[in-house]
Amino acid sequence: MSVLTLERVTKRFDQTIAVDDLSFAVEPGTVFGFLGGNGAGKTTSLRMVLDIIRPTSGNIQVLGRAPGRANAPEIGFLPEERGLYRQMTALDTIAYFGRLKGMTPADAKREGASLLDRFGLAANSKQTVDKLSKGMAQKVQLATALVNRPKLLILDEPFSGLDPVNQGLLEEEIRNMSSAGATAVFSTHVMQHAERLCDRLLLLGKGRKKFEGTLDEARAELPARLTVVSRTDPSKISGVESARDRGEAEAGWRRWDVRLDPGVAPGDVLERCVSQQFPLRRFEQVHASLHDVFVHIVGQPETVQ
Amino acid sequence: MNNVQIVAAREFKQIAGMRSFWLTLLIIPLSLVIGGLTPSLINNDEPDRVMIIDRTGGAEAQALQQRFDADQNRELLGDLSRYVQRHHLEGADPKALWAQHDRWYSDADIAQFEAAGGLESAQSKIDRVKAKDTPAFEASPPDYEMVPVPASLAKVPDAGLDDALQDVLKPKGKDAKPVNYVVLVPASFGSSPVVRLWSNRQPSPDLVQKLQDVLTRDLRTRFLASQGLSAAAAQSATSIAPALAISTPPPGGGAREAMLIRSILPLAAAYLLMISLMLSGSWMLQGTVEERSNKLLETVLACVSPEELMYGKLLGTAGVGLFMIAVWLGCGLFAAYATHGAIADMIRPALDPLTSPGTVIAMIYFFVVGYVSIAILFLAIGAMVDSMRDAQGYLMPVLLLILLPISILMQAVIAGNSGGVLMEVLTWVPIWTPFAVLARLGLGIPTWEVIGSGITLAAFAAAEVVLLGRLFRASLLASGQRPNLREVVARMRAVQS
Repeated sequence: MSVLTLERVTKRFDQTIAVDDLSFAVEPGTVFGFLGGNGAGKTTSLRMVLDIIRPTSGNIQVLGRAPGRANAPEIGFLPEERGLYRQMTALDTIAYFGRLKGMTPADAKREGASLLDRFGLAANSKQTVDKLSKGMAQKVQLATALVNRPKLLILDEPFSGLDPVNQGLLEEEIRNMSSAGATAVFSTHVMQHAERLCDRLLLLGKGRKKFEGTLDEARAELPARLTVVSRTDPSKISGVESARDRGEAEAGWRRWDVRLDPGVAPGDVLERCVSQQFPLRRFEQVHASLHDVFVHIVGQPETVQ
Repeated sequence: MNNVQIVAAREFKQIAGMRSFWLTLLIIPLSLVIGGLTPSLINNDEPDRVMIIDRTGGAEAQALQQRFDADQNRELLGDLSRYVQRHHLEGADPKALWAQHDRWYSDADIAQFEAAGGLESAQSKIDRVKAKDTPAFEASPPDYEMVPVPASLAKVPDAGLDDALQDVLKPKGKDAKPVNYVVLVPASFGSSPVVRLWSNRQPSPDLVQKLQDVLTRDLRTRFLASQGLSAAAAQSATSIAPALAISTPPPGGGAREAMLIRSILPLAAAYLLMISLMLSGSWMLQGTVEERSNKLLETVLACVSPEELMYGKLLGTAGVGLFMIAVWLGCGLFAAYATHGAIADMIRPALDPLTSPGTVIAMIYFFVVGYVSIAILFLAIGAMVDSMRDAQGYLMPVLLLILLPISILMQAVIAGNSGGVLMEVLTWVPIWTPFAVLARLGLGIPTWEVIGSGITLAAFAAAEVVLLGRLFRASLLASGQRPNLREVVARMRAVQS
């Protein structure tokens, strides 16, 4: 059974369509990336999953139930815009959110203390939030999402604003949770994080789904590219769309950026080179980055990094 | 504990953790204590020193001395009677004057009291029956002290007294005690009515009245004697006075004072409602603005519904308001205990409305529903703005709208006006209903008005919960400029975002 299912979900705000006929499913234990530029509909989709707002049409299932606060005990949520009660202590803050997620006061305190210890903040547990550094407050915020050991972790732009140390900490937590069987869904417009973490990806553009699948499947959407060192122009070889001369590699040999026709496998081109006795010093496949894939599929929004 | 209670507990804890909360909480009892102490700090307990230069042979000085003594004893007898009544010590001597309360002590009574041994005798009787923990009676200090005329001054002719008295009224030495009043009864007194009074400050009306009374009586006696009446008859004629039998209506019977006393508790409830609402409401507003400006609403809303958040905040704030009132009442009880029941005696008549269950229920109902119906306005404002500066824009008109008519209403009630168009209007407009009804409860408000305005208030509060609840929910995650009126109305009409 899928942990999260959206079927033909649409959300309108007055005349604006924020999410347009969106359908996808997230399987248990996966890390699911929700990719799109600003205004693509990522936050709106996640808010609908959390029942903070309701869809105009369509159906959403979270852990086999309709969205609602009844799911809160099994969900951890880290919003894009983060903040904490400035006058509450770090431990009280985490325990408060634990209690709102149905934990007993003792469990919430114990789990909060354990998380603070794990994040290196045990000594700061009694300090009020306004006395913590920004990095410390970020860890406390993350702890509020993890305190109930959620089955489904929903993270909205989780890496934005985090310092490199906390980015590493968050990546580690996501991996740990995933290996423990929990599911993580996170939205981002930073492709490097998605590339490192995600089992599956969903690319959103203007509220519509543009792609859903694994990273390899996403890369397959782009024509393959090669770096070739040869004596002559490889563009005549069957399956090659174009070849760009990048200058001399060594005496008598030149380096070429080769772009293959859509659907042509690099191995087939190599076979043809061998059979045609086309002299080669180097034949290397260049993997497309997720950024390239995104730009190819969705376009070039300014905010995609 | 459900989410509403968890949110309420956090709200309460947050407000109770603020220094300003405790300062405000203590400022009111402190100001009452200071207010209570100020008169005793300002008041001069030293008796006024009076010197009487009697050139007629001493009879006038003696008459004045007797009058001062009699008035002092009357006050003493009154104080003693109240002390005996407060501590239920009538058993010491049930027939004694001081065991008879609420009466005016005549000159004959005073004479009888003195003849029976005065204060000393009374105290020894009281001590025999008094419990160990009952405080001892403390007589108030006398108002006047007679100062003998120095021989040097007695020789000064009347015309030279203006200069000679300068040193007496305003002595130069640091430790020298001034004489506050000097009265000259000239030798010609009787044929001439002129008496002179020197004073080192504005003369007290009480002293002037005493002088007038005693000397007028003497002048009249002399006049009647000169008309052929015997000295004894003349003396009797001047002391003829009506015996006033004073009756006051029972409380609530129309006398302004009685109504005012009955209004103390309901008026206090209205004031407490106003003060605690303004304070706790503004703290709640601050908390809601903090949640918005610190961008933590989304995290909260992932766990609790907007309705749970709203009810939790209202419950927490109401808890703060009620806690404040409980502390103030506790301070009042402590003060009543600490003053050995003096304050309790004073406010006992004011507690009279509590003997009527209907009044008690009405007070609690209008207090609680009034609290919710006004506090929810603060909550809605808090949900619409991103900063306290923005909040002021909404808050000021709302506060003025609520408070201005209420201050006028309070003044009217204190002045004893129980009717009038304003009073009626305020009773039936829901944002003013709780204050108006509470303030009018002591004055006597028709039952149908209490029930009718109570139902109107409940309907208003229910409509507020629905409409402002929608506004609260729709505003929580909205961003951008402060919404204008059209936007506010649109949010109230939105069933679900």
